[in-house]
Amino acid sequence: MTNLAGLLESTGASIECEDDFDAVNELVRSRGWSDGLPVVPPTAGRVEHMLAFCDRPWDEPVAKIAPRYGEATPLRLAANAVMAGCRPEYFPLLVAAVEAMCEERFNLYGVQATTHLCAPLVIVNGPVAKELDINSGHNAFGPGWRANATLGRALRLALVNIGGAIPALGDMSTFGAPSKYSYLAAENEAASPWEPLHVERGLPREASAVTVIGAECPHNVNDHESITAEGILTTIAGTLIAVGANDVYYHAQPLIVMGPEHARTVADGGFSKADAKRFLHEHAHLPMRRFSKENIERRLRVTWKERLGAAGLDAPVPMVQRPEDLLIAVIGGAGKHSAVIHTFGATQAVTRALKTRDGSLARSVADFRRD
Amino acid sequence: MCELRKRGLAAAVIISEPFLKLGRTQARVFGVPDLPLLLIPHPLGGLSLGEVEGRAGHAIPQVLKLIKERAA
Repeated sequence: MTNLAGLLESTGASIECEDDFDAVNELVRSRGWSDGLPVVPPTAGRVEHMLAFCDRPWDEPVAKIAPRYGEATPLRLAANAVMAGCRPEYFPLLVAAVEAMCEERFNLYGVQATTHLCAPLVIVNGPVAKELDINSGHNAFGPGWRANATLGRALRLALVNIGGAIPALGDMSTFGAPSKYSYLAAENEAASPWEPLHVERGLPREASAVTVIGAECPHNVNDHESITAEGILTTIAGTLIAVGANDVYYHAQPLIVMGPEHARTVADGGFSKADAKRFLHEHAHLPMRRFSKENIERRLRVTWKERLGAAGLDAPVPMVQRPEDLLIAVIGGAGKHSAVIHTFGATQAVTRALKTRDGSLARSVADFRRD
Repeated sequence: MCELRKRGLAAAVIISEPFLKLGRTQARVFGVPDLPLLLIPHPLGGLSLGEVEGRAGHAIPQVLKLIKERAA
């Protein structure tokens, strides 16, 4: 159905409020429908405008968002996209990201409700990233770009308002993280010496795609001195080592965000992405004695019973179980930096191509235009 | 657990206080709003063996009560 007036007649679909910015925001705040920041009032007119780039029925759920398992209909997603400040052209990516993070292997229930501080990170690949001006360069994870800021925020609002990720009710994170406001960037494909993330994960280069990762915030890797692939990768492997990371206890997929300058140095040393992953896997480990006695006995020897159950304290504990579990994306601007992004651990990254309703790959967001 | 409860079995979730509201919400979401939530002291991590036994001590009487009520 694409008749907004009809849809708004159903119970709870709309709410009357004084036509005043402050009044709307007071209502939203009192109902707990926000991330704490003011929102753009989701009037019927604005919501309908947001749905200009939606080729599906507005009342047909695209997914159910845990932990409340609320139905994410285009209508509800559009209301959240309006509140977040999105442009209508962004809407197809919002739908794709919601679908991706609701795939079972992502474990959205865990990502949302855990005491860990993870948030779904979205990496955008393909021509749509450029079309929507999604930042992949300087400050890609930071403020300053409308698409990054508002698309990421729309996802968060959907996770809260549809999924019920309300602090201490459905979101039990001990601290939370600033990435829970917005966490979305594009890969800097033009500056990457390697195949883009979505191609590595099985999609054609001309596809546009989102990859969602249940991620921690980026941890910087500063290396201004190394001039070889081995040097850069040694520093990244050292930063990947973290005794307190969830990833130690799971078949996890930590993400290595390589700055373009680091990536170039590594590629110039003859390393493919797969070579870099092998190197990182081989070098990112610690002797078991570096863990606390309790963690050795209660977690490491139990979780990795076959390998560490009876092992000596010098046995290596890998930070990632297999080279191919590592994810690598090239993001950022100039500078001798990379970043390590650990994950929730009990989650698998999901990559999803941007497709129109008939299942064909979208060449542009214009493919979703309704009319 | 909700599925077991729906099938008429004695089923419950053992839960610590900070997670009580989440547990209630989940039980409602899965269509079993009266799913018993057996409360034990927080935390569950970082406990000595004796403290783990203490938590079990809190849970066991509640489990027994649940089973008896179900049988009655």
